[in-house]
Amino acid sequence: MKYLVLIFVLAISLISSEIKFEHNFDKALQKAKNQHKEVMMMYSAVWCPECSYMKEIVFKNKKVNSYIQKHFIVLGKDIDKDKLPSGFKYIGIPTFFFIDKSGKEKGRIIGGGKADKFLVKLRAIK
Amino acid sequence: MKKIVIFILICTNIIFAFDVKDLQALKEDGYCTQCDLSYADLRDIDLAMSDLSDSNLSHANFNNTLAHKADFSRSDLSYATFENSNIKGANFTGANLKNVNFFEARIWKGNFSNSHIDKCNFNESALGSAIFKNNNLKNSTFKDAILYKTIYKQNVIGIPK
Repeated sequence: MKYLVLIFVLAISLISSEIKFEHNFDKALQKAKNQHKEVMMMYSAVWCPECSYMKEIVFKNKKVNSYIQKHFIVLGKDIDKDKLPSGFKYIGIPTFFFIDKSGKEKGRIIGGGKADKFLVKLRAIK
Repeated sequence: MKKIVIFILICTNIIFAFDVKDLQALKEDGYCTQCDLSYADLRDIDLAMSDLSDSNLSHANFNNTLAHKADFSRSDLSYATFENSNIKGANFTGANLKNVNFFEARIWKGNFSNSHIDKCNFNESALGSAIFKNNNLKNSTFKDAILYKTIYKQNVIGIPK
């Protein structure tokens, strides 16, 4: 019984630590306002290995994960399915746009990278 | 006087080891196959999707260059440097990569098949989904490199640690 409870708690903690992607710009912005956070919009593609690396490895890094969860609402946009909101332009993927409460870009990170380096860039933008 | 002229000619040859016409062609056309660009400083040139195959690019400086999907196949890149450059999807098949510096380079999906890799510095580079086939990785370093889904086939040293 103890083990079952332990497994259940672990499973819950894993689910809750997973970064949840929003897909609607306005909803993400509203959510960010309500929670006193900013929006981090990731423009990516399923065929881009750098994007998968960020989602599968970097976003699961404890420090990166908790920093993102604490400060940002994550909005996911796919280059093959979605258009970027007006006013946003990109030169390559993945691009991470950081959007303030008024909906304007306040900074960006172009390309991915190892967790420790990405965290430094995140902190610099925040 | 003769000695001075000879000295100047020697110095000029050392400074401009590359063919100036080839460099001009690369800048204007975006490609230059079978070129001599050895010792060339290519840092400020947009080399995205450029064809630089079958060329002499030894000691060339590609630091901080944007050269994604560039074709370096069968070229001599010995002692060239790509520090912090963006060479995603670049083709290095059959190239001579002796003593090449790829420190912090972004080489996602780069193709190194059948290239001569010797004493290369891949430290802190991003080699996700890159292809290493028929390579000798024994004398090269990969410290803190991103090796996410990197493909290794028939190499002397299989997967670098």
